[in-house]
Amino acid sequence: MIKLTIDGNEIEVQEGTTVLEAAEAAGLYVPTLCHHPQLTPYGGCRLCMVEVEGARTLQPSCTLPATNGMVVKTNTQKVLDARKFVLTLIFSERNHFCMYCQVSDGDCELQNRAYDEGMTHWDLQPNWQPFEVDASHPFMVLDNNRCILCRRCVRACGELVGNYTLGFEERGADSMLVADYNVPLGESSCISCGTCVQICPTGAIIDRQSAYQGKETEVEHNIGVCVECSVGCQRDVLTRDNRLIRIEGVWEAPLNNGLLCDKGRFLPLEDDRPRLLTPLVRKDGNLKAATWDDAINAIAEGLGKGEGLAAIASTRLPIEDLALFKSVFADSLKAELVTTLEEGKATASLAKMAEKLGQSFESNLETLKDTDAVLSLALDLVDEHQVAGFFVKRQLTDGTNLIVADGKGNKLAEKASFKLDLEAGKEGSFLLKLHEAIESETGDEGFVKAAKLLKAAVKPVIVYGQDFAANADDKAVETLVGISESLNASLVGVKGNANSMAASQLGLESPIKTNGYKSAFIMLGDENPSQKLIKQLEDFPFVVALSAYGSQLTGNADVVLPVTMWAEQSGTYLNMDGRLQKAVQSLEAPEGVLTSRETLLKISEALEVETDADWKTRILSRTPTVQIKES
Amino acid sequence: MKTTRSMVLVSSDPESLDRGALDVFSTLQKQITKFGLEEEIALSMITDISKHAMSPLVLVYPDAVIYGPVTTDDVPTIVEEHLYKGRVVQEKQISAYDLSGRVAWLSSRKGTMPAENRIVLKNVGQIDPENIDEYIINDGYEGLGTVLKEMTPGETIQVIKDSGLRGRGGAGFPTGLKWQFVSGAKGNKKFVICNADESEPGTFKDRLVLEGDPHAIIEAMSIGAYAVGADEGYVYIRGEYGLAISRMKKAIQQAREYNLLGENIFGTDFSFDIHIHTGAGAYICGEETALIESIEGNRGEPRPRPPYPTTAGLWQKPTLVNNVETLANIPAIIRNGAAWYKSIGTQSSPGTKVYTVLGNVNVTGLIEVPMGITLREVISIYAKGMKGSATFKLAQTGGSSGSIIPASLQDTPMDFDSYDKAGVSLGSGALLICNEDVCVVDLAKVLLNFFRFESCGKCNPCRIGNKRAYETLVNISEGVGTLQDLKDLKMMSDQLYELSNCGLGQTAGSPLKDILAHFRAEVEAHVKLKVCPAGICPMSGQRVYKIF
Repeated sequence: MIKLTIDGNEIEVQEGTTVLEAAEAAGLYVPTLCHHPQLTPYGGCRLCMVEVEGARTLQPSCTLPATNGMVVKTNTQKVLDARKFVLTLIFSERNHFCMYCQVSDGDCELQNRAYDEGMTHWDLQPNWQPFEVDASHPFMVLDNNRCILCRRCVRACGELVGNYTLGFEERGADSMLVADYNVPLGESSCISCGTCVQICPTGAIIDRQSAYQGKETEVEHNIGVCVECSVGCQRDVLTRDNRLIRIEGVWEAPLNNGLLCDKGRFLPLEDDRPRLLTPLVRKDGNLKAATWDDAINAIAEGLGKGEGLAAIASTRLPIEDLALFKSVFADSLKAELVTTLEEGKATASLAKMAEKLGQSFESNLETLKDTDAVLSLALDLVDEHQVAGFFVKRQLTDGTNLIVADGKGNKLAEKASFKLDLEAGKEGSFLLKLHEAIESETGDEGFVKAAKLLKAAVKPVIVYGQDFAANADDKAVETLVGISESLNASLVGVKGNANSMAASQLGLESPIKTNGYKSAFIMLGDENPSQKLIKQLEDFPFVVALSAYGSQLTGNADVVLPVTMWAEQSGTYLNMDGRLQKAVQSLEAPEGVLTSRETLLKISEALEVETDADWKTRILSRTPTVQIKES
Repeated sequence: MKTTRSMVLVSSDPESLDRGALDVFSTLQKQITKFGLEEEIALSMITDISKHAMSPLVLVYPDAVIYGPVTTDDVPTIVEEHLYKGRVVQEKQISAYDLSGRVAWLSSRKGTMPAENRIVLKNVGQIDPENIDEYIINDGYEGLGTVLKEMTPGETIQVIKDSGLRGRGGAGFPTGLKWQFVSGAKGNKKFVICNADESEPGTFKDRLVLEGDPHAIIEAMSIGAYAVGADEGYVYIRGEYGLAISRMKKAIQQAREYNLLGENIFGTDFSFDIHIHTGAGAYICGEETALIESIEGNRGEPRPRPPYPTTAGLWQKPTLVNNVETLANIPAIIRNGAAWYKSIGTQSSPGTKVYTVLGNVNVTGLIEVPMGITLREVISIYAKGMKGSATFKLAQTGGSSGSIIPASLQDTPMDFDSYDKAGVSLGSGALLICNEDVCVVDLAKVLLNFFRFESCGKCNPCRIGNKRAYETLVNISEGVGTLQDLKDLKMMSDQLYELSNCGLGQTAGSPLKDILAHFRAEVEAHVKLKVCPAGICPMSGQRVYKIF
């Protein structure tokens, strides 16, 4: 432990703590601009300067490690003068005329710091060569004129996301933020994760959707889990007057630490599918608007006692909905098929293995954050589960080895140390060869190379995707577990949708077959139905669809009930590594639109069947592939 | 090496090479063979010693006769007349006076420079830098052999500490202490870096050492590596120094062939090798942490300190970074001992200092003199007085990052401590001597323009402060400055020193501080009387940088 004195307060901190962190821990205020808790201290803005006894000049508290006996002062006249000078310089540098800026009046860290210091004006005259505004990106606008050159975005792009798109060109006062080798942002290697927008302290990078629409003081925050994939990032949905304004990552979230991908941050606001607002019932061949009662009656009539019934639910729905779905269709109605749209492809073989072993064999996502060798099996983390991909990508410059095994085009492979060919359907023999190479260092050159790398690693991780799990038979999964044991490697399985893991725990894993069913009950939620499913449903005499959006499937259905989309419902989600997390409702549903759960209850009432709302016992009753943790 | 009667040297700086120095060299070779003099006369290419207009030069020793500019047509006459018959070819001869070049080594030979004491430049211009044998015969690699065979790393560091050698890059940090820090730093991998990114305007001392005596740097780096426990080194050479780079490459190659670099040097357990990394034209990369970032392939921006490179430098490993001139002292200190070195120079700053003398003086060029010599001595003895009997007004030290020294300080001994006490700094070793025709506002403008352009842009005070200060100076030089501007300049200078991350920003404001401290009346004349006393500033009355 280290003891130091800041402003007369004796403070005890861990070794390696900076003076800034020590001051903040003691509740003292030191203003910062370029500093961000998630980033390596940079020491560029010089706003956090403090007086240290014995030091020749003022010292930046953000980069200065606390040492024993250090005596620090954070509010002497010298420090206050320095702060004002630094702010004066920044304001005089470029276009920092607040009144026209989107982040002005509360959302701008620069302006807020100036208010904190009681600044009413600045003394130095501004003079700069205006930069062109880069509006080439579909989601973001980059304006160098409002940039304070703090490099937060550049550091976030590299250190957190591992994408290294943003950088600086030129030097001195001409320094400017550029993408790649100064190409328009929209044509660059940017993956639209939006971390730069979220981390920018001024209005230099803004997002198009929310610009000029909602300041901090005007929006409501709704923090919950993202439902776009099985990673389970925490995100904050900002709304104003029942309208989506913006989605941000939650910096304090232990898993994603503020990171989101384009699917979690930008794309939900771009959703322009036609919304369903009223129940529809097919009459004389045409779908006609109907009342809820008529529609429910039509369903009760059509489903009858449940013989020849196939019930299919989306894995984007909360566990509560899925559990109720199972209770109604499997337990009470004893429907012939009760499954999900994913048919358990990504989970079935893994779940079987866990049951066979009688224990979980997969590890937490955290293992991907700190590893020295990653083997990726039939999975492209650049394309899907991107945030997990960020964990891997950002370590590659620190010497972490990445081996990508895939049979098709894989963008992650571009960043890999080397690639192995893994043909779909041959997972078993691939793993056997790898296992042999690990045990005896014999076999194909590629396998031996991979084996050596993985064996040399201290914390190796094997990560695999839905395609792998779908194709791998029981034997292959057994080999995989064997490999992980001989390497002492962590296994991380990507599960697909936000609640695929929960569906697996509920046993909703049967494949969809179309022979001889009389009716289908499709609980789509806000998911887009696949063409394959639409095709399969053509043979069904009677189809009920619960959907938030109109699609070809709802057009073909016999009864359609409008339900809520992700933002209008709350519930629990079980992510790929067993975290139980809440999604919160952030918008009021349109009038006449119910949640899938409420709709199910209405239907079960009409069908006069029992329901069981207890989902937790159901989830925990099956041995999970990875330990389930309640947060 | 065989004894020869005479030594003929051909200059081989880029300009000379451009003007056919290689042809001159080969013609000389042919002519010497033709007269059968090859046993008596040694012929080699040497590094830059010439003034542009006079190159290429041919020098004949021991007569110390300089011919220039020499073409292939002149060669037969020179060989026949001078080398064969012993008569100086007067029409081609030029004197050291005409040669506004590198007076140091020329004059030393003539005995006109009593205080000259050559350690750093000992071999420069005297041996063929592309021939390792010539370096070895001049006691080369003896120091390395001594430390490897007879001394422990600790003893080696002790010798350097005892010698009192201080870093010649500008800051004057005790070299032995730095070595000790790196030696004591935890880590199984350490690096030695030679900072040869000599980018201070008007300074070219390091280039001459690299071009003229590259093996001295290799030897010094090896000694340093042995002392601190490093096994890998980098020479970071300024990209513009084409000849220095090729000489260094060749020297490293030769040293490897002689197993003076590589595995088990001198049959000991010590292994060491050197890479060359060339800069890409950024002044800031002479700052050691920016230099390290540059080697790592990053944008050249200084790192925060602490941690210092001595504990976390290149790739976060303990790293010893020394300037070329500092390193060039090491082999001599090891050979001759700390006591010998301490006997040169002053108590607190032993040894010699190489200066690049520039400006309104009669003879400009490179000199190596003991520490503690005064500016007056430099001007009157080495630079042969002010040009046209003008009055000495001020000297600008150190390239850009030094100080403006007024005439009142010309009798202050030039060493680290005396200058420190006087509130000025020695800088990197450039001495720009100015007469009364120089306007201090204009001088400060030029310097600030340089800093404004060369600031890396990382930290606010330097990036914006230099720009604002430059603009304020421009306004003053246009006759539209105000007294508030002078206050602002002083404030900016103070804050730049107080708030900047690295040496560039910290020293960038010193010209402002210096002109206001020593030449305030002249600056105020620009503001109050709208007059430039030296008649340099435009004083147009037009504001160049307008208020919105």
